[in-house]
Amino acid sequence: MRILGISAHYHDSAAALVVDGVPVCAVQEERLSRSKNDASFPLAAIGWCLEHGGLEPGDLDAVVFYEKPMLKFDRILTMALREFPASWGSFPRAMKNSLGGKLWVKGLITSQLGVPGKRVLFSEHHQSHAAAAFLTAPTRRAAILTADGVGEWATLSLGRGSISESGDAKIELFRELRFPHSLGMLYSTFTAYLGFKVNEGEYKVMGLASYGSPAFEPLMRKIVRRAADGAPVLDLSYFEYHRGARRSFSDRLAAELGPPRDPDAAIDLATPEGKRYADIAASVQRVLEDILVDLARSLREETGLDDLCLGGGVALNGCANARILRESGFRNVYVPSAPGDAGCAMGAALAADRLHFKRPHVEAPDHPYWGPPIDGAQLTRIAREDGLELAETAGEAELLDRVSLELARGRIVGWMQGRTEFGPRALGNRSILAAPHSAAMRDRLNRGIKYREQFRPFAPAVPLSKADRFFELPPGGARLGRFMSGVFPVRPEWRDRLAAVTHVDGTARVQTVDPEAAPRFHALLEAYGARTGIPVLLNTSFNLAGEPIVNRAVEGYTTFRRSGIDVLVAGETVVEKPRTRELAPEAVA
Amino acid sequence: MADVSHGTFHMRASPSAVDVLLTPVHRWVWSDLDRRARKLLTFGQTEEDGARDISRAAERTADPALRILYLRHAADEQRHAVLFRKRGREILDSSRPPVFEANWLAPGERGLDGLDVGSESDQDLLAFLHLSEKAAAGRFVLYEEVLAVDPQTRAVFARILKDEENHMTYTRRELARLAQRREGWRLWRARAGRLWNAYLRVASAIASVFGTAMLALQYFLILPAFAALAKRSARREREGFAASRAETAFGGQY
Repeated sequence: MRILGISAHYHDSAAALVVDGVPVCAVQEERLSRSKNDASFPLAAIGWCLEHGGLEPGDLDAVVFYEKPMLKFDRILTMALREFPASWGSFPRAMKNSLGGKLWVKGLITSQLGVPGKRVLFSEHHQSHAAAAFLTAPTRRAAILTADGVGEWATLSLGRGSISESGDAKIELFRELRFPHSLGMLYSTFTAYLGFKVNEGEYKVMGLASYGSPAFEPLMRKIVRRAADGAPVLDLSYFEYHRGARRSFSDRLAAELGPPRDPDAAIDLATPEGKRYADIAASVQRVLEDILVDLARSLREETGLDDLCLGGGVALNGCANARILRESGFRNVYVPSAPGDAGCAMGAALAADRLHFKRPHVEAPDHPYWGPPIDGAQLTRIAREDGLELAETAGEAELLDRVSLELARGRIVGWMQGRTEFGPRALGNRSILAAPHSAAMRDRLNRGIKYREQFRPFAPAVPLSKADRFFELPPGGARLGRFMSGVFPVRPEWRDRLAAVTHVDGTARVQTVDPEAAPRFHALLEAYGARTGIPVLLNTSFNLAGEPIVNRAVEGYTTFRRSGIDVLVAGETVVEKPRTRELAPEAVA
Repeated sequence: MADVSHGTFHMRASPSAVDVLLTPVHRWVWSDLDRRARKLLTFGQTEEDGARDISRAAERTADPALRILYLRHAADEQRHAVLFRKRGREILDSSRPPVFEANWLAPGERGLDGLDVGSESDQDLLAFLHLSEKAAAGRFVLYEEVLAVDPQTRAVFARILKDEENHMTYTRRELARLAQRREGWRLWRARAGRLWNAYLRVASAIASVFGTAMLALQYFLILPAFAALAKRSARREREGFAASRAETAFGGQY
């Protein structure tokens, strides 16, 4: 059975293909269209998935959209009515958006792909999140918690998943929090208040939080209180997102917290204003974490299960995930590589396979590399045409030796191997790698390549078997680090030698690299460790500010040419920029 | 006419007749410090977007010489973005609360005007780039003039203007190389394309205003009764969690 999953229209559209119950491929539209967070109908992603699977649209047994458009429209219209007349400004835009295209998904799919309407199916948004989290995790019974901005009506769902001995899969969502009460919207509102782009700047809020103290916690607890049944309830007088299109927070919030940050102004943490922003970020982060831990703890007591699957955009909050693991009582916390809406493409396809067609569960390969493969020959051709110094290494050992030497010399490496990652994080196949030892390297990357705020941390990658030596991982922490989903303390004795990846609060969003999932990346870490004594590398996504992560070799090449990356590797091909000076291997051990 | 293919061929920017006529408007737009800062920051964003688009052009061209030129061009645009942002922030730090930005009156530059880089041939792209750079450079000449009171911002424009003139030159020269004797035709097509885009912008803006007005009218005429019912129903809702919906059929959209 061949099932195509699609997510589209709000942010981060994607397509995924499941054949006979097993994911075959998945890719976000932005990786192919080169437009960051591309929300358009993912024609390129669908085209690539079908090509990769050797299928024509007519070969598909089902095409599953990740949410129910009419139910979503019901919410939009109902909210406009409930907020009358304050919603008059947003109503025309919402109607134009919905009636102008987003509502007619079935027609869009049938006309674009030529599949009959009866083969077009719809999963519910949080069911897709739940399926993406549970049906790809290596567990047969788990509690499920999904949280995001909003799907149709639900913004947070609690439930459980199980797979019987015979392979029958079941996802049971017990209860949900409904719009406008939403933890995702709470965090996004503060993202906007702090002058960052919504759906993109949430990482920045988390990074900024470490520089502050939760001085505004009492006000936050007034803004989000708990209902008798434990549900987080927002005081809507602080928000505008449910009624207006102008901005997501109200004048009252600005009056009580002070003026919002001008997005164009730099954050200077040495000033009282900069400190205020950091304190606000710390306060909202603290409240979010407390609520999530509390909900997870209740879910653990209710289900009695050891495993928890987290889904939805809120599951990208690595600090909260780590606290859930430490404090909720669950032994394992599973977060997929794409817990946000892009991952719903795969979730919807898997949900249809297991729940609609009732096919027996097949364990999904436990890796994030579902996208297009790299073509090293393309880099060889371009570099030759442009007259760059080129080396085609004789084999993996020579490649690893050469790259580890360059890294030890303090060079920055653009590293492209295998298939691109599915989800927002580069996990060693489309990564910029560097020595993690000095703060100077962090500043160099921020200044010359990523062009981003100084307060944002970089992440380390470490072989799974050696993670405990450098990081304080609780039981289950290594699993959470598999897709870089948890933030954990760096062991104090290593902080000075891992300065480029140690955040101001002594933590790091560590990736634990499994040799079975990413053999070459793992081997590179080991080679670097053999050379320097520390098998840890700084791993950041291979893109420049405002651009999606690179996909093809040529995209890596243009990024390499436009930035401070010194060495570019695609498959077996290594290209260097002309050297201005010979660097000595960095003294690290 | 100068020999476009010759190495010494270099183009100079000059403002369009319309822009010269609008000099007092440009002067007014740029006179306010905060507006000036916001416009510079907007230009910074446009340059950054342009860098990305031109980088895409470098990725898809099969012509190695053109690839190098595109990459240099993209690096210039990235540098311009930094210059504009830096100056914009400097001004912003010392300016007053935000005011009307007046982008419609003095758009400055439109980058690649929404051009789909991936679907254009090198020749069409070069023609389009040439006209975009020429239009932006012409305006920058004028901005230099109206910014006599702000030597620092003026210096930023002067510095960027040199690059823009280089971009005008190389795009014209490469167009001549690739299009042979049909470069004039390509340029006219690009001009028509820009005109069409301008028409689409205006037409869609008018349609959007009209649509918004109609929907707003319906909102106030039709919705009040339903709004009262919706509000009553909302008041009856229990606070906290709701039971999740029973498993719904995958065939339904509701």
